[in-house]
Amino acid sequence: MEHVNPLTGFRVDGRRPNEMRQLRGEVGVVSRADGSALFEMGNTRVIAAVYGPREIQNRSQQVNLKEALVRCEYRMAEFSTGDRRRKPKGDRRSTEISLVIRQTMEASILTHLMPHSQIDIFVQVLQADGGTRSACINAATLALADAGIPMKDIVTSCSAGYLCSTPLLDLNYIEDSAGGPDVTVGILAKMDKVTLLQMDAKLPMDTFETVMELATEGCKAIATYIREVLLENTKQLECQRG
Amino acid sequence: MVGLSEGEKHFIRGGIAQDLRADGRTRLQFRAVTVETGIIPQANGSARVRMGATEVIASVKAELGKPTILHPGKGKVSIYVDCSPTAAPMFEGRGSEELSAELSVALQRCLLGGKSGAGAAIDLSSLIVIEGKACWDLYIDGLVVSSDGNLLDALAAAIKVALSDTGIPKVNVSLNAETDGEPEFDISDEDFLQFDTSSVPVIVTLTKVGKHYIVDATSEEESQMSSAVSVSVNRLGQICGMTKRGGAGLDPSVIFDMISVAKHVSQRFISLLDSEIAAAEAADAE
Amino acid sequence: MSAAAAASGTYTPAAEAGGKRREKREELRRHLAEDADWPRADGRSIHDCRPAFMQTGPTTAASGSAYAEFGKTKVIVSVFGPRESKKAMLYSDTGRLNCSVSYTTFATGIRGQGLENKEYSGMLHKALEGAVMLHTFPKTTVDVFALVLESGGSDLPIIISCASLALADAGIMMYDLVTSVSVSCLGKNVIIDPTSDEEAWQDGGLMVSYMPTRREITQLTLTGEWSDGKITNAVELCMDACGKLCEILRERLKDTAVLESE
Repeated sequence: MEHVNPLTGFRVDGRRPNEMRQLRGEVGVVSRADGSALFEMGNTRVIAAVYGPREIQNRSQQVNLKEALVRCEYRMAEFSTGDRRRKPKGDRRSTEISLVIRQTMEASILTHLMPHSQIDIFVQVLQADGGTRSACINAATLALADAGIPMKDIVTSCSAGYLCSTPLLDLNYIEDSAGGPDVTVGILAKMDKVTLLQMDAKLPMDTFETVMELATEGCKAIATYIREVLLENTKQLECQRG
Repeated sequence: MVGLSEGEKHFIRGGIAQDLRADGRTRLQFRAVTVETGIIPQANGSARVRMGATEVIASVKAELGKPTILHPGKGKVSIYVDCSPTAAPMFEGRGSEELSAELSVALQRCLLGGKSGAGAAIDLSSLIVIEGKACWDLYIDGLVVSSDGNLLDALAAAIKVALSDTGIPKVNVSLNAETDGEPEFDISDEDFLQFDTSSVPVIVTLTKVGKHYIVDATSEEESQMSSAVSVSVNRLGQICGMTKRGGAGLDPSVIFDMISVAKHVSQRFISLLDSEIAAAEAADAE
Repeated sequence: MSAAAAASGTYTPAAEAGGKRREKREELRRHLAEDADWPRADGRSIHDCRPAFMQTGPTTAASGSAYAEFGKTKVIVSVFGPRESKKAMLYSDTGRLNCSVSYTTFATGIRGQGLENKEYSGMLHKALEGAVMLHTFPKTTVDVFALVLESGGSDLPIIISCASLALADAGIMMYDLVTSVSVSCLGKNVIIDPTSDEEAWQDGGLMVSYMPTRREITQLTLTGEWSDGKITNAVELCMDACGKLCEILRERLKDTAVLESE
């Protein structure tokens, strides 16, 4: 299948190779949570909610007394995929993504400031159209910021792939399932450090560098957007206070 | 989850006794309801309903399936609810299973009618494509995104709105001689059949706190309840299902009283929902 | 027929119920007479329950147990405890009631079909919760395990009645015995204690769990479309039957007490 039109250079959904899907972020969508956010990347839509820092519920999970315990659960809604399938909760894919999100966020959260407490991050996928991993990390960042949890930096994530000899930014479901390499990068935006790097399939060394470069650029663009959303939100809060 | 001090508990109970609740409502007043349709483009119909801080999403998906041998002239409907951990940390992992199952069963009881299909919200025979061979299977999924009490009523309302938003594609059947009379289906992308949702009931839960009962309880109020009765009523005022929750027993006369109050309140709630559906559809059309 | 029925423990509600209720019942009877009362497959009239056979103490290892047989429906309930709550549980100054309902694989015609009734455990818990004096055994758990040996209709009400007998047998403090009866709505008729065949074709169903002495309904579920008047009549019919069933339960408990004292 042609994923990039050889004549026009456009992708199946009409984007250019280095073009990202429409982003939308909204803070405070779950009123009961300490912090929450909705994040959309094209048709992929996720909700993240943060509860904490609060007292540790299950002491046996506590590993390091001097640092906060960060926990994460990733869940897909029954109706999030095109074809409906009933999966048991806590399947391997969800467990793996939960772990990835937790480790990525932990790298940024200043856990040593909140000993003897736990922070729960719950992400719920409402619609999956490729790049749920990245969308979840971006949503979690927004939600953590909304909850006022101290972080070193904003963590953002974006994916990139390589199909039809073209590096492509922000793969959708069709491109993702084409079988080509898929590089997911997570960065600490301001410090310019990589916290997450995943790839499946194989890629020559020099191509990998360009693809990763592209994904990193995507992360930075998302970071700019997230910063805007947070600033806008802060301004609104300021207005409300008068 | 709800931690309340003695003073707060007293305040809530006292307010209900005096017909002025903590958020300024009277006992039989609902919170403001907001409705959005078409929020899940991949589904045949979907809706989001917000009642105060409670937020639920319902989606309806239709798939072609085979009718059962027992009921060759009927389609199938299944209802399943999931509580997202975003709504409360206690829904993490398997923590939501019990509540999800309870809500699913209560909704099935209220919407699917008796075993013979009498009193069902959806006319199952309207889902048939070819008798005994093919029918539509409707999968109704509810998701609790944010929880502040009264989940059952909100879910039932969301399902009602999602069904009114649902379009079932028209199917052209062509009988092919080559495939041994097995019918071939041509699912249309443009022509949709709309549902008649006039008989879909709403659920009104009356929560008993002290001597009085209230509608649309918040989670703080629910923590103070002794028992609750959920009654599902359709537009004609017929009762299509009922569930009692909460441990304490109820005097039969109180139950009958609650049923008649629920019937009265439900008509108001139905007209409120109807106007919200119309507004949401108008907003969608723009 | 009535004499033979009494010997086998059949209970027919209505006979000596109060005036107002009798009027309502007569009204219901007249209503049903118009629609011609057809004989039920097992020869009962629409307001006859199946003969109730109940016994305490079938399982010796449990603190209390009971066996119930209503026609084809056979249920065994064992009660364990009060015993120490699992360590993972937090401290609570009231006891916990843990209910679990399971089906044998051969309970239904199709193997393993009974597993579909997952919600029964929760419903059993809700029906009993209001009757058990949980504050009398803090920090501990009472486990109620119900096993349906054969499913023959009205399973849940029979489980509930049988469980309350088992709880009483175990000496767990209760405000009152909980009994439960269900009715099915078939056309114009409301039939009591339906069999599985009748349940499969019902237009609507109603189940009531009732504490006869305290006159309190602990659990109530209703499906299908019902008109208001019909609900009132059906609930009263169930309550009346619950009262009669409670008498049978009480007799069984007295029998056991007499046996033990001898």
